[in-house]
Amino acid sequence: MSLLAVAGLAKSFADRRLLAIETLSLSAGERYVLTGENGSGKSTLLRILAGIDAPDGGSGHFREHRFDWHPYPDWLRREVIYVHQQPYLFHTSVAENIAYGLRARGIEASERERLVRAAIAWARLGHLLRTPPQKLSGGERQRVALARAWVLAPKVLLLDEPTANLDAESRQQTIDLVHGFCGPESTAVVACHDRDMIALANRRRLHLVDGEIRHDSEAAP
Amino acid sequence: MGLLDATHAALRLLLSGDAELWTIVGVSLSVTLRAMLVAMPVGIGCGYLLATLRFPGRRALIVVIQGLLASPTVVVGLLLYLLLSRQGVFGQLHLLFTQTAMVIGQVLIALPVLIAFSLSAIQGADPRARETAVALGASGARVAWTLLVEVRFALMAAVCNAFGRVVSEIGCSLMVGGNIAGVTRNIPTAIALETSKGDFAQGIALGIVLLVVALGVNFSFAFFQGESRR
Repeated sequence: MSLLAVAGLAKSFADRRLLAIETLSLSAGERYVLTGENGSGKSTLLRILAGIDAPDGGSGHFREHRFDWHPYPDWLRREVIYVHQQPYLFHTSVAENIAYGLRARGIEASERERLVRAAIAWARLGHLLRTPPQKLSGGERQRVALARAWVLAPKVLLLDEPTANLDAESRQQTIDLVHGFCGPESTAVVACHDRDMIALANRRRLHLVDGEIRHDSEAAP
Repeated sequence: MGLLDATHAALRLLLSGDAELWTIVGVSLSVTLRAMLVAMPVGIGCGYLLATLRFPGRRALIVVIQGLLASPTVVVGLLLYLLLSRQGVFGQLHLLFTQTAMVIGQVLIALPVLIAFSLSAIQGADPRARETAVALGASGARVAWTLLVEVRFALMAAVCNAFGRVVSEIGCSLMVGGNIAGVTRNIPTAIALETSKGDFAQGIALGIVLLVVALGVNFSFAFFQGESRR
């Protein structure tokens, strides 16, 4: 079933056409890797899908319900989560960062604590709870950001190069987490250059060239 | 009286709990704290809106506010005097020569400082902070609160700056307060008066209190900032 679908999605910066996507449909239960050269618009596409940037034009459907880009609907924000290439952690604590989206959704304290504990265990962050977020390494920050997204159980997860600038061990930990993120009801798109990530089993590849999406069969090897 | 003798007398005044002196200190602190309580939410709120909203005339408004940073307090006092005097628009309120008039004047002096500094604090925030809050589903009010908490030290610097400016200003307090003993005589107006009368001991004693208050606020800010960065 198509979860998130867009058609005629266009975005230009100054005079340069960055995106001109005829159709793109993300299905529940599928995982995607989004590849393309630097500057090909991978980040921009993910940011538009998450409602952080707005496209110049195009239509969007979530589970067959049409939605507007201006303004991006609040109900859709609860289903779609975007994680930056270098995630921003709030200057609070690791646990408070993970709880942030739960607070925004009005989840009551006891349930919130239970979910945060589960997320901490999932991302193996237990030993970092007392460390200020600003003192964490790149890989640890990425894991906190993944836990912060995981705990909200989004239907669509959009990850922007989660393994860029990480050392080998952190990279592997991040890949393992990303691999175990989604269930049959949800989908994930990972923008990346990382060969290990691209080669993961059961991933469909979306290749961005000249602002257009080429699917598996057309993509260069 | 030499400077040493005057300073000695000033310390004696401070330590003996001289009622007149501590009343003046009380007026200063009470007026300035009330002014800051009013100005802080308004100034920081306006700074946030200016940083985040886009509307026609925004650029010009920012230039005007930054210009007001340099407004002489005595001119603010003059304008307020004209508004509050018997023939003025707000003459009916009988506020001239009251502490309330001094509070209003200090609010007007503090606002441009608070708005301009919080505007630049919020504009200087990492853009990912807002995007992350939005992406995690925060409402407009929660996004605003999150952002203000993220730049809290820059906002504290804005508050310290505004406090320093109003606690030590004399022009406006003198004009709309009237320097009435026990009512509207605050530290700066008292220092000016005592010095002109040749009573240096009282002036020096009040000067010491003013320095301690102003430096104390800035030292405690530096301390908290240092603690958070350890």
